[in-house]
Parts: sequence; C-alpha cells; structure tokens
Amino acid sequence: MSRGASDEELIALVVAARDGAAFGELVRRHQGVVRGLMQRMCSNHALADDLAQEAFIKAFNKIGSFTGKGSFRAWLCRIAYNEFLMSARKRKATEKAMERFKHDVDDVEAPRDMGSVVDLDRGLKTLKEDERVCVTLCYAGGMSHAEAAEATGMPLGTVKSHVNRGREKLKAWFEAEEAMAS
Amino acid sequence: MTMNDPFEDRLRAAFAAAQPADDDAEDFVKKVQGRLARPDRRRALVLGGAGSTGSAVAGTQLEGFFSNPDLLPTDGIMGQVFTYTSPEMLAAGVLALMIAGFAVVVPKNLYAG
Repeated sequence: MSRGASDEELIALVVAARDGAAFGELVRRHQGVVRGLMQRMCSNHALADDLAQEAFIKAFNKIGSFTGKGSFRAWLCRIAYNEFLMSARKRKATEKAMERFKHDVDDVEAPRDMGSVVDLDRGLKTLKEDERVCVTLCYAGGMSHAEAAEATGMPLGTVKSHVNRGREKLKAWFEAEEAMAS
Repeated sequence: MTMNDPFEDRLRAAFAAAQPADDDAEDFVKKVQGRLARPDRRRALVLGGAGSTGSAVAGTQLEGFFSNPDLLPTDGIMGQVFTYTSPEMLAAGVLALMIAGFAVVVPKNLYAG
C-alpha cells in the first residue's frame, strides 16, 4: 500500500502513527542516496552503512521536525552529514579522517566494481576538505547549493565556489588520468 | 552545478554509479526497521531494574517511616491525612505513585532512542 504513496503521505503516516512500514518505504527510496553520500565521505563502506543507519534512526525520531520546506531527501542528507561530522569528532579524528580521505588512496575499499567508483573516490581525495564536502553533498546527495549551504553552515556563495572549484579540479584530475592511461 | 557540458553529465553518472547496488537495499531497510522495532531494550532493562530495586528498598522502609509520629507533620491538610490514614495505606499510595512514574518515564525513554 505504501509503495504507491508520495513521500509526503508516508511522512504523515510516520508522524501520526510512527508507522514502521511507511518509514521502511522511505528508507527504501532514499537509502541509495544517503549510503552513497556516506560512502563518498567515509571511504569505508562498513562505517558508511553504520552511519547511514544511524542517520535514518535519527530521522525517524525527529521526523516531526521536518517542516516540508525543501525536499525530504535534502533533509535526510543534512542529518546524514551531521552524523558523519559527529562520528568524526567522536573518533577525535575530523582532521585525521579528512587527511586520510586526501592521502590514503590505498585504503579505499574495493567496491563491487573497480574502476569508476574507485576513480571517483581517488579524484575526490585531491579536493580540499570543504570542496569535497560541497561537491559530495550536491552530486551524491542531490542537494541544491542553497540546501548544501544550509546543511554545512557555509555562506551560499562559498558553497557555489567550492562546488565549481571542486568540479574543475575533478575535471582536470580525470583528464590527467586519461592522458596517463592512453 | 547547473552547467551543461559533457563533463557535468559524466560526473553525475559517476556519482550515480557509485551509489550502493539495489540488491542489498532490502537488507539495509530490514536492519533499520529492526532497530526501530526494538530501540534500546538494554537501556530499558537497566533503568527498569534499577528503578524497581530502588522502589523495593524504599517500600520496605516506608511503613516504618509512616509509623513514626516524630517524622510526620501534625498540622494542616497533611497532618489530617497522616492522622486518618494507616501507615500501610500511605506506603501503598507512595509505591503506586512510583510505579506510575516509571510507567510514564520508561516508554518516553524508549521512544527518545
């Protein structure tokens, strides 16, 4: 029954009756984006899935605070991003995690297909921390610049610059990789 | 982000391809739903156990407390209550309040996660 319902209808069911089946359908629809976002941020698929689960549990507990301003997916991604930041702080490793993300290319887990995914993660590692976060939120999370600005607390103009600069760096990185390969 | 060039499409495709495969989506959904169904049993058991033990210890002392006239007020409404109610009744009333308190607080803690 819940499969045909819109996100808004499912959210209303969860808010009104804490309907687990309705929330399950929301998880089913948005898990790809949230897990993808976490995987690009963490470089560790097991940790990324744990954090994605935590993010969904948090979303369930505070779904009443979703006002409907902006998309549900953006709201979820904001929770997921905060979850990632909290996790990094807990491990006293925000800087270390970012450092690892930038330099620890060999630690990237081999996902289901080698090649494009690993290339993307390696390319992302060449970006500055803020650029990587903004690019990941906008491309993996599907957030608008304004939503990414709200999620990160950065000014809108800064987010736009980070995304554009990050995108240009990725373009240059991919071109260099291709030149080396050919 | 809204630029329309081949690299933009390629980048979007790369992020889309990097999303987790749909074949393990159901497992993920079940894990999340499983955690919703039993938020934190251990916490509830520890809280409930500690509360019950405390209530039991307090309960054994209540009758003695309510039997000691030096410890109870003699004036006003409370004085009237203590004069006309037996120590057993007072102890039972306090225990009932404690149990009602746990009945309210523990489910709240469960939902708060």
